[in-house]
Amino acid sequence: MNDGTFTGPQAARHGEAVTHSGEDGLAWFGRFGVDEAMLRAAFDKALSRGADWAELYFEHRVAHHLGLEDGAVNRAYTSVSLGVGVRVVRGDQTGYAYTEELTQKAVADAAGIAAVVADGPSRDAPSAFTAQPLPDRYPVRQPWTDVGVAAKMPILTRINEGVFSRDPRVVKVQVGFADSDGAVLIVDSTGRMSFDRQPMARMTVSCTAEHEGRRESNFHNLAGREGFEFFTDDRIEHLADEVVSRTAFLFDAAPAPAGTFPVVLGAGSSGILLHEAIGHGMEADFNRKGISVYSDKLNEMIAPKEVTIVDDGTKPHTRGAINVDDEGVEAQRTVLVEEGRLRTYMHDRISAKHYGVEPTGNGRRQSFRHPPVPRMRNTYMLPGPHEPEEIIASVKKGVYAQTFTNGQVMIGAGDFTFYIKTGYLIEDGKLTRPIKDTNIIGNGPQVLADTDMVGNDFAFDEGGWTCGKDGQSVPVSLGMPSVRVKAITVGGVNQG
Amino acid sequence: MSNLMDAARAAAELARKHGADQSAIVVSRSRGVDIEWRDGRIERVKERTRRSLSASLYVDGRYSASSTNDLRPTALDAFIAEAVANTRLLEPDPHRGLPDPERYAGRAAIDLDLVDPDKDAVDGEQRRALAEQLEALARSGDDALPIVSVASSVGDNHGQSARVHSNGFEGEVEGTSSGYSVSITVKDADGRRPMGWSYSYRRHRADLDAPALVAAEAREKARAQLGAGRVETGRYRVVVENRAMPKLIGSFLAPISGPALQQRRSLWEGKLGERIASEKLSIWDEPHRTRGMASALWDGDGFATRRRPLIEKGVLATYLIDQYYARKMGVEPTGGRTHGLDWDYGERDLAALIGDIEEGVLIDRFLGGNSNQTTGEFSFGCAGRMIRDGQLAEPVAEMNLAGNLATLFGRLVELGDDPDRNRSSRCPSAVFDGLQLGGA
Repeated sequence: MNDGTFTGPQAARHGEAVTHSGEDGLAWFGRFGVDEAMLRAAFDKALSRGADWAELYFEHRVAHHLGLEDGAVNRAYTSVSLGVGVRVVRGDQTGYAYTEELTQKAVADAAGIAAVVADGPSRDAPSAFTAQPLPDRYPVRQPWTDVGVAAKMPILTRINEGVFSRDPRVVKVQVGFADSDGAVLIVDSTGRMSFDRQPMARMTVSCTAEHEGRRESNFHNLAGREGFEFFTDDRIEHLADEVVSRTAFLFDAAPAPAGTFPVVLGAGSSGILLHEAIGHGMEADFNRKGISVYSDKLNEMIAPKEVTIVDDGTKPHTRGAINVDDEGVEAQRTVLVEEGRLRTYMHDRISAKHYGVEPTGNGRRQSFRHPPVPRMRNTYMLPGPHEPEEIIASVKKGVYAQTFTNGQVMIGAGDFTFYIKTGYLIEDGKLTRPIKDTNIIGNGPQVLADTDMVGNDFAFDEGGWTCGKDGQSVPVSLGMPSVRVKAITVGGVNQG
Repeated sequence: MSNLMDAARAAAELARKHGADQSAIVVSRSRGVDIEWRDGRIERVKERTRRSLSASLYVDGRYSASSTNDLRPTALDAFIAEAVANTRLLEPDPHRGLPDPERYAGRAAIDLDLVDPDKDAVDGEQRRALAEQLEALARSGDDALPIVSVASSVGDNHGQSARVHSNGFEGEVEGTSSGYSVSITVKDADGRRPMGWSYSYRRHRADLDAPALVAAEAREKARAQLGAGRVETGRYRVVVENRAMPKLIGSFLAPISGPALQQRRSLWEGKLGERIASEKLSIWDEPHRTRGMASALWDGDGFATRRRPLIEKGVLATYLIDQYYARKMGVEPTGGRTHGLDWDYGERDLAALIGDIEEGVLIDRFLGGNSNQTTGEFSFGCAGRMIRDGQLAEPVAEMNLAGNLATLFGRLVELGDDPDRNRSSRCPSAVFDGLQLGGA
């Protein structure tokens, strides 16, 4: 086998340390019985009917969850997942099978099943397997494999005490500490191997408070591709601050009124607007099939000139960061909308071939049990010229949206929603009554066209988002400056 | 199937050997195939073969739960040894522990008929042919549709599992499911590309709806979205179609769970025996429905299941409290979840429910939104049709339904006679009076 190299054009371009190579990957998965003979046997079967492309996606992932409830760290959940998915592609047709048994026969059998989509003369398996050098966008000092339960427990206890001590109205606190360490090895029918280690961490705190006979609950979380060192004193205190203030806020808040209003989206987690209103519709599979509201809109103006939107797998340690996508394409920063013009869709290999372009590194999957499809990574809007105060001051009557819990979109019709957990009414250019628990629904292209002021206060959201599509969940990140949208339908309640 | 039970017993013995006082082990495996078809050919074929072992461990008054699919003997031994060792590091929890074995008694001696005897009779070619037929049906009809794309899928699944508790519970489950779906994307005059879809999903293939019926519904749902407009913001008589109802009933019932109550996140705290809905609403947990998608003879604690009322003529009849939260709350456990719903259905179909309404709105799908189970506030995106003079009129989209769960089902006027047979919740269509819709 060829030597894995630790330098290369990609590494040089990013100026980042290269820590993983495909050869490491084969050695790493060797403990589970993976070797070159297994790869050859699998590709012999996968290519036996003349596929255009085949790849093996080996995965081993260990996830931990540690929970505090009623003052005690007294529950732990662990899951171990191991297997290989075999994908065979012919044109835009995909055959997919996986096995959780890493024997040469089981993997070859899965490859044989996946090959049913192809129908032609057999092709030769790759003669050599070569490691692809990759940058490391999430180096960690204390990997989760080295951090035991005992080290984590005091953090949960401290957060619990911190939340109770901040507000006497708090009656219940739950803390959940989730971490995982994944290893993936992607080997394709050109013989290229990509190996990646994927750390992930999230701390979620929720609390319930009681005040004058009323109860309110809220939560906050911090997430990223981080190691144990991420949970510094400052972050722990910040998390406690946030969950208490977000819960206390609700006592003074009421649902927004119902109707169509101008909406100002605060910086940070408002990136959910991009994810739902625009992002999914720009995933190339929907466009290739003609079923996206953005089909046929390439190179058209779809937003005002102030609007530039990127999907970026390269921001270090973000939840949506990837070194390589799940079909072996190195991650990149992809400009989707440049000064209002739709520049590209997000591609996997199948859609890139269809459109005659290079894949954009958006081919992602939940696990070895799923074939990759075009998915977002870290989607954000670049900052614009306006002061956030100026944006709020421009609205006579409207809604200011601050924090969110979830969203959804219908790709073809373009209708999307997101749920405002906290925000304010805007009256005569000022934030007035606090609002909560209000859904917003709009139409993606219309809302994008109506995004007429963009702030200079860009922020990434610090919480963790998980995106669902095609029955698959993947971690993503969001970012946004403050923006004004001229009109969106607000799902509140009108009194009287 | 006995090798699953053997594997579960062996894992329980491993747990004991490594120092667990008690354990609950579940070993499962499943196999399935899906064919996805689009515009004249196969788009994806997926074959799934899964296996898993999960172990709930009780060690020195402490608790953990772990799962793995790496079932090689040495790997499994090390996995359980580590899980036991890690459990010892946790803080104790006096409320954890397997149930009193007496609670395992009373298992119903009935055959739920969850396995299709013809499960192995369908092959890849038949699935492909059905997918192709669904597309052909979707493209044929009296009214011309501006179709952009038609997709269909056909899938089958077969799963088995064995559960062993170290204090005497044993149970094995086997079930199949089959289904197909069709979706039709149409191009609207303004460039929007709405999609109409429908599906059928059952334990036995013989019970599936006719493909023509499913395709016709997808056509109707696609056609009915063309030219969608906006609703005027206001309060309306609202009909929620059966396929959209799970969103409402799921949000309404979620706060009756033990964790919600014990963690003080339930608007239904203190409401047991009180009226929380219209007397038109009666719902049972029905775990014993023959061929039910969620039917089961025992629950996750090993308790024998039985039919029981959840809501009786609008009165909250039970909370759903599992073994752990019952001990924590100092109450008797009632079982932590439902295994299929049964309703006191109405006597009229959807068309008749609509026929009475001078002006109103039919909601046939929800999109996103959420509810606050502590306070009951909810706000959901939705779409459907205007109702005028007892007839379905123009389509409406981009609207929100908002209110409070505490009063939502108090506004229930009538339930339909039309259970959604694709889902274990078996929701009927429902008519509500005076719901707030946010639109133009």
